[in-house]
Amino acid sequence: MLMGGFMEKDAVMLAGSAGAGKTTLALQYLVSGVQSCAEPGIYVTFEQLPDQIYRDAKNFGWDLQKMEEENKLRVICTSPDLLFTTENGESILDVPIDDVRPRRIVIDSLSHLSMFSEGKNFRLETYRLISWLKMKGLSSLLLWETSNMMGQISSITDTGLSFLVDSIILLKPVEIDSAIHKALVILKMRGSDHDKKLREYEITSSGIMVAAPFANYEGIMSGNARRTAGLEKATQNFTDAFSRKRH
Amino acid sequence: MSTTESAERYLKVLLGSETRTDLVALFHRNPGLIDTAEGIGRRIGLVPGAVQSDLEELVATGMLTKKKFGTSEVFFLNHAKDREIQDSIAVHLQNLKP
Repeated sequence: MLMGGFMEKDAVMLAGSAGAGKTTLALQYLVSGVQSCAEPGIYVTFEQLPDQIYRDAKNFGWDLQKMEEENKLRVICTSPDLLFTTENGESILDVPIDDVRPRRIVIDSLSHLSMFSEGKNFRLETYRLISWLKMKGLSSLLLWETSNMMGQISSITDTGLSFLVDSIILLKPVEIDSAIHKALVILKMRGSDHDKKLREYEITSSGIMVAAPFANYEGIMSGNARRTAGLEKATQNFTDAFSRKRH
Repeated sequence: MSTTESAERYLKVLLGSETRTDLVALFHRNPGLIDTAEGIGRRIGLVPGAVQSDLEELVATGMLTKKKFGTSEVFFLNHAKDREIQDSIAVHLQNLKP
């Protein structure tokens, strides 16, 4: 879907409603970095305590505490306003960055950060944070909680953050045939081609698994999924209608 | 101060109040916690200001470090000193006569 992966040092927004699987996908991003790419990471959480994250990760077979002991990961818990604070150019993340030398970082979440900064100020502060993360050589995954769980989403954020990030991935529950399915789509990927299709995903015992694109449906993102006839059927319907009109 | 006296002093300070016991447990279960007194208090269900003096006691033992960021003061675990304290207590408890 990503045509090879995220670009290095890009800021990726992972947006979705509560329960969509943002934290799971974010943890998977870091764990995969440690296990498959020798890229240490940092997980920054504001609301959930690290012990809860360790517990949730264990459910997927990821031992984050062991990765911390091996200096490949850090789970940092702090208050959102402290992330925006610097003391003589020092940041609260300087020590864990020096310890672990990460290549990846997750901020869970920008939505929490927005509670501590208003409007234009929040956008400026977020721009500064993203610039700082890039300057440190970090590829960041920034979680954002969307307010609409179901139905059409007219904008990802109402603070213009979509313009600041390099890529946007949206996780969205959708109703099809009276059942809730989970849909994933890449809305934006600056400087690179990407899969445009809406794909179903599942949260399995080993993490997020992305499946095939939704087939034979349209209007899924609008909240009103409708079956499409398929090309062959549509062609036949057109031919039949044209024949009837002639007679 | 002897090793035994150090260990006993640590135990007295670390477990000297219910709040301090809760704080020790909080930082041991969440070694990556870096927060203000207000934030820390909120995480164990206490009002801001209720943990300040207990945090200062833990800073005095060396288990926690206090640092200023902007206008905020943050507290975080001093991993090396914490390990030293735990080792000291472990040795003391092993040496206790039954």
